[in-house]
Amino acid sequence: MSKQAMNKPAMNKPAMNKPDNPQGTTHKQAFDEPLWWGLFSAGGVCFAVFLPAVILFVGVLLPLGLLPAEALSYQRASAWLFSVPGVLFAGAVVCLPLFHAAHRLRHGLFDIRVGSDTVNKKVMYGAAALLSVLALGVVLAGMLS
Amino acid sequence: MSGDKIGTDNLNTKLISVKRYLPDRSTEPYWQSFELPVDDSTSLLDALNHIKEQLDSTLSYRWSCRMAICGSCGVMVNGIPKLGCKTFLRDYDGEIRIEPLAHFPVQRDLVVDMEIFLEHLAAVKPYLIDDNPVKPFDPAAPQTYQQSPAQLARYKQFANCINCGLCYSACPQFGLNPEFRGPAAIALAHRYNLDSRDHGKKQRMAELNRHEGVWSCTFVGFCSKVCPKHVDPAAAVNQGKVEAAKHTLIALFKG
Repeated sequence: MSKQAMNKPAMNKPAMNKPDNPQGTTHKQAFDEPLWWGLFSAGGVCFAVFLPAVILFVGVLLPLGLLPAEALSYQRASAWLFSVPGVLFAGAVVCLPLFHAAHRLRHGLFDIRVGSDTVNKKVMYGAAALLSVLALGVVLAGMLS
Repeated sequence: MSGDKIGTDNLNTKLISVKRYLPDRSTEPYWQSFELPVDDSTSLLDALNHIKEQLDSTLSYRWSCRMAICGSCGVMVNGIPKLGCKTFLRDYDGEIRIEPLAHFPVQRDLVVDMEIFLEHLAAVKPYLIDDNPVKPFDPAAPQTYQQSPAQLARYKQFANCINCGLCYSACPQFGLNPEFRGPAAIALAHRYNLDSRDHGKKQRMAELNRHEGVWSCTFVGFCSKVCPKHVDPAAAVNQGKVEAAKHTLIALFKG
């Protein structure tokens, strides 16, 4: 076997123990990803902890009449929603889960190869941000009126 | 699976289909079936050796140690990445389909080109950085780096990687984007980041905090399922996400 043939492609590559960035790749940092992932994680916690409780109370117990009728009467509910706890409620039950869902949808679309990730990212997080602003806007508008 | 006692006297024949690819003869891969005698102790690697020695000497595959430490004999068994030497035919009923590891370019039969994996591995600097003692080595009073059992325990699990590449075949994100650094490379980066003797975390974080670093992972978790050494790369990658997020925050405030 000639010396040329012995010289496999791997041999031309810089050794692993050489200092500093052998491939010359640019370390383009993903500054946005930690933010999306942080919102995704926070949203996941909210999805797991708060949403089941909200569904249980508002979606099951209340319609079944298992709660006192005035538990969520208009006066009580609006007074509670249009206040600081109401803002936190909207954030935990609407905004953060929205970003969680947007993150999952974005990665799901990437997995089934639909669209481009750059566009999907803008659409998904954009929609989540828009709906979040809407939800918080309604609460804040109610507080101010 | 045979529920009976495992023994070498339990002789049987089994059908193995191997995906053959011989680029010097045909550009298309094809399936070839072999019927071979097996007993309860026959590993898939034993079966491949039997095929090579008795049935068809043109079959190509990699192997070395026979004891799940060299990481050479990875193949797809019925679509799941497995080590040939750690897979026993007694656990399979019916036809067993053997393919080369997924997501890697196939060179010949069951032999794949692992070059890209080695590049990913090198990129995360999986070795101790700046672990040199402050003063030069003195033979009269040699100083070693001491590490407590607790410090060892922090990274020990992630140090068990044998670079077999099964996790890359299991990872759908690596399949979609081969630029993704991937489970084993990130797990090893994490292993050195956790090592008390190492001072290279900053360099590695710059590599991990890229779209092709930890952020390409969507926590499918199959890498940890197929790992023959129970390294749990999925945990390493997701702990790496926490570290990368911290790294970003620090970079944000330090400028």
